[in-house]
Amino acid sequence: MAKLIRNPPFPFKSIQSSISFAFSCLILASIAATTLFSYRLSVDAVQRNSQGYIEEIIKQVNTNIQSYVDNMENISLLAMTSKDVKYYISDNTFISAEERRPYEKRISDLFQSILYTRKDIASIMVFGYNGRFVSDRRITALNPYAKLEEQAWYKNARDAGGKSVLSAPHVQNIIQNEYRWVVSLSRELKSTDGITAEGVFLVDLNLSVIDAICSQINLGKKGYVFIVDSEGNIVYHPQQQLIYSNLLSERIPEVVAASSGTSFIANDRDGKRMYSVQDTNFGWKIVGVAYTDELIANSGTIRSTILAYSLVGLAVSLLLSLLLSHRLTRPIKKLQADMKMVEKGNFGIQTEIGQMNEIGQLGRTFNMMVSRIKDLMQEIIQTQENKRKNELQLLQAQINPHFLYNTLDSIVWMAEQKQHEEVVLMTSALAKLFRASITRDQELVPIRVEAEHIANYLLIQKMRYHEQLDYRIDIDDAILSYKTLKILLQPFVENAIYHGIRNKPEIGLVTIRGREDGGRIVFEVEDNGLGMTPEQLARIWMPDDEGTRRKGIGIHNVNERIQLHFGHEYGIKIRSEPENGTCVTITVPKLG
Amino acid sequence: MRKQRFTVAMIVLLLVAVFYAAYWMKSLTTASADGKTVTVVLKSLNVRSDFWQTVSAGAQVAGKQAGAVIDMAGPLQENDAEAQIKALEEAIERKPQAIVVAPYAHERMPEMMQRIRDAGIRLVVIDTPLDVDPKPVFVGDDHREAGKLAGRTAVQETGSHPVAAILTDFKYSLVSEQRREGVLDTLGDFPGSVYGTYYAGDSEDRAYDVAMSLLRDNKPDFNVIVALTPATTLGAAKAIKETASGSKVRLIGFDSTIGEIQLLEEGVLNATVVQKPFNMGYLGVKAALDLLDGKSVSSTFIDSTVVSSANMYTPEIQKLLFPFIENQ
Repeated sequence: MAKLIRNPPFPFKSIQSSISFAFSCLILASIAATTLFSYRLSVDAVQRNSQGYIEEIIKQVNTNIQSYVDNMENISLLAMTSKDVKYYISDNTFISAEERRPYEKRISDLFQSILYTRKDIASIMVFGYNGRFVSDRRITALNPYAKLEEQAWYKNARDAGGKSVLSAPHVQNIIQNEYRWVVSLSRELKSTDGITAEGVFLVDLNLSVIDAICSQINLGKKGYVFIVDSEGNIVYHPQQQLIYSNLLSERIPEVVAASSGTSFIANDRDGKRMYSVQDTNFGWKIVGVAYTDELIANSGTIRSTILAYSLVGLAVSLLLSLLLSHRLTRPIKKLQADMKMVEKGNFGIQTEIGQMNEIGQLGRTFNMMVSRIKDLMQEIIQTQENKRKNELQLLQAQINPHFLYNTLDSIVWMAEQKQHEEVVLMTSALAKLFRASITRDQELVPIRVEAEHIANYLLIQKMRYHEQLDYRIDIDDAILSYKTLKILLQPFVENAIYHGIRNKPEIGLVTIRGREDGGRIVFEVEDNGLGMTPEQLARIWMPDDEGTRRKGIGIHNVNERIQLHFGHEYGIKIRSEPENGTCVTITVPKLG
Repeated sequence: MRKQRFTVAMIVLLLVAVFYAAYWMKSLTTASADGKTVTVVLKSLNVRSDFWQTVSAGAQVAGKQAGAVIDMAGPLQENDAEAQIKALEEAIERKPQAIVVAPYAHERMPEMMQRIRDAGIRLVVIDTPLDVDPKPVFVGDDHREAGKLAGRTAVQETGSHPVAAILTDFKYSLVSEQRREGVLDTLGDFPGSVYGTYYAGDSEDRAYDVAMSLLRDNKPDFNVIVALTPATTLGAAKAIKETASGSKVRLIGFDSTIGEIQLLEEGVLNATVVQKPFNMGYLGVKAALDLLDGKSVSSTFIDSTVVSSANMYTPEIQKLLFPFIENQ
């Protein structure tokens, strides 16, 4: 673990994990950054758009209110230019009360006809400085307690001297029993000479008109529109009562300072909001307030869309990084697997070489190394085998000295008996035997030679043990020309005589058979001697150790020799029964 | 082993992705309106009731500011406690997050408050305090303070030598009694300033009769009438006008009905103490929203304002006296 910690930055064992991890970090970082930037950008774009949109709306509000004010202005012009009105309020004392009535009726009719077409106008009135007044109603009862001179619209109109004056919204109480919220436009009327002031004209616009214009504006759920005059007094505010109660404060100084068509952002405990200011040409400022979190009404949607896309992108790129790292590390893994095989001892492997990049070169070197190792191994095996063969050849070249002594003894004994023919036969057989043993040039001899050899051997042995031994050689003529190992059968015949027959009271029979069987050559050396117990049989197969080295050539040595020469599918089989004899089967390939 | 390492790496990445997502989701939810629902149960939904319509307007403004959904409920006629209880039951049925109620004093009201609380709905009481345990958050007028204000106005109007006749409706009326206590608190500083308290019920005619008998008997032994309800104010004003004793007897009233406004213009009513129903509705809903936000909210008392003929057409007072822009 400590080692791992010391190996930053990727605490992974496999290159694939490290690569994937590195890729993933990169991807994650870049997607996070992209997402953040694109969100910021889209939010900015939306905010800019909605800013423009709000300015447009406020402009529209401005136009609407302007059109109402213009209308009032037009109505006032109509009244100003009316001869009846002029005559009525002019300071002419000669008109009697009765003469006045038709004038009043005509003026009232004029006002009424205007009022019929304009539902937004609350009332139209004219007050002459001579104390006369006319309204749009036939019978007008003025509020006796409302003093004309104290009304703001009246005073301001007189002060303005002929210019129209727009009041802030107020409750108009000049008519008895009527208390309406109105905006008043008032104007001083001059006489025909244009110098003498003769009265004040008043048009009241229902405030509900402006209220409707402003309250219908939709600037999000929380946004609203308010109006201030040029001094910063609130003309209209949907939450006016809260402002008067100090439960709400409005950014009046900033609004007054802002020029028309601009907007600014305020951020306090009420939230971040945008003020969009528009000047009217009659001195009011119309202000739209929109909460920025609502401006970007679909900011949630933007966010979740961007988020969804980035998550999908993330998933795709993570998958890609997995695939990519898999592709990159696949040759390494393949190489690793092949190395494992070599580790297990399979040197026949050659790793597949893809592209000739670093890993390809690694693979090539690996292949070269493995084949070199394989060659070396082969060489070692070859050397060992040769060594073994030589040893065996040496062994088999040795004539058992006892055999030689005994044979020579027999010859001497036969010579003494003057059995010349037998002496000649035995000596020549011995000589042939020796020649066969001494010739070391060839390992493989035709079966014919081997048959002769075993016949000579048995001849000698028969002469020595003629009362005890009988033999039969039964080798198929068809196989005589095939080749086999030299002195292959002699050890088994020797064993059959010495261990099977010699100590048997009756005469023993050794049978040697040779034939072809299923593409192979099969020899059998069978005796009807003492036979072996399974334990004895098992002991035969044990390799010689240095200590218990028996004389002659061990069965297993012969087996080994066969297998060295011909492969593991060939060799020796022994079956033996005590008191019944032993049969050795030797299988060798059919060699031409 | 290697596979496991890899899985660990993948899990780490997944976690990072999830946290990332969670972070965004979180900022997403905080940005969006959280859709609070508040039901406001008033004493009357009658469009002719300026007072309750103004309360309703204030409540709506508070709802709009917070982006909350405000439902209005209540009886159509005033003084219909049974209908209000029914409206409350329906409101509980709808399961809003909070209920703001201006309750009638009714024997079943404490039970209703308990049912609101049992339903897991936040409760704010406005206008009329309720004697229930535990005390709910209350937003309403400080009637005692309003009474003190009326008393101070009486002192001013009489050049600091008040002798006041107090005209009120019922002994058991909580609001009037608190106002009366407030008036008495202020007048307590002026020995001999309390002429007496007269109960005239809730009818203008009865108040007129009481005032007439006082003025006829009066030589005058008092110089100011403090009328604690609109009905008594109107009755007293009528009596003063008829006896033409306006120069000798000042009149301080309560509330701002259209009749009282005209009396103010006439100068018969010298001053009236006006509540701020808009603020009550606004602050009531705001208290409910604060409760929903888990803030600690204490009861709020709203100041009253003295209106006289001198200030009645200033922008602030205009808005109080004439809360509504008439629709044509």
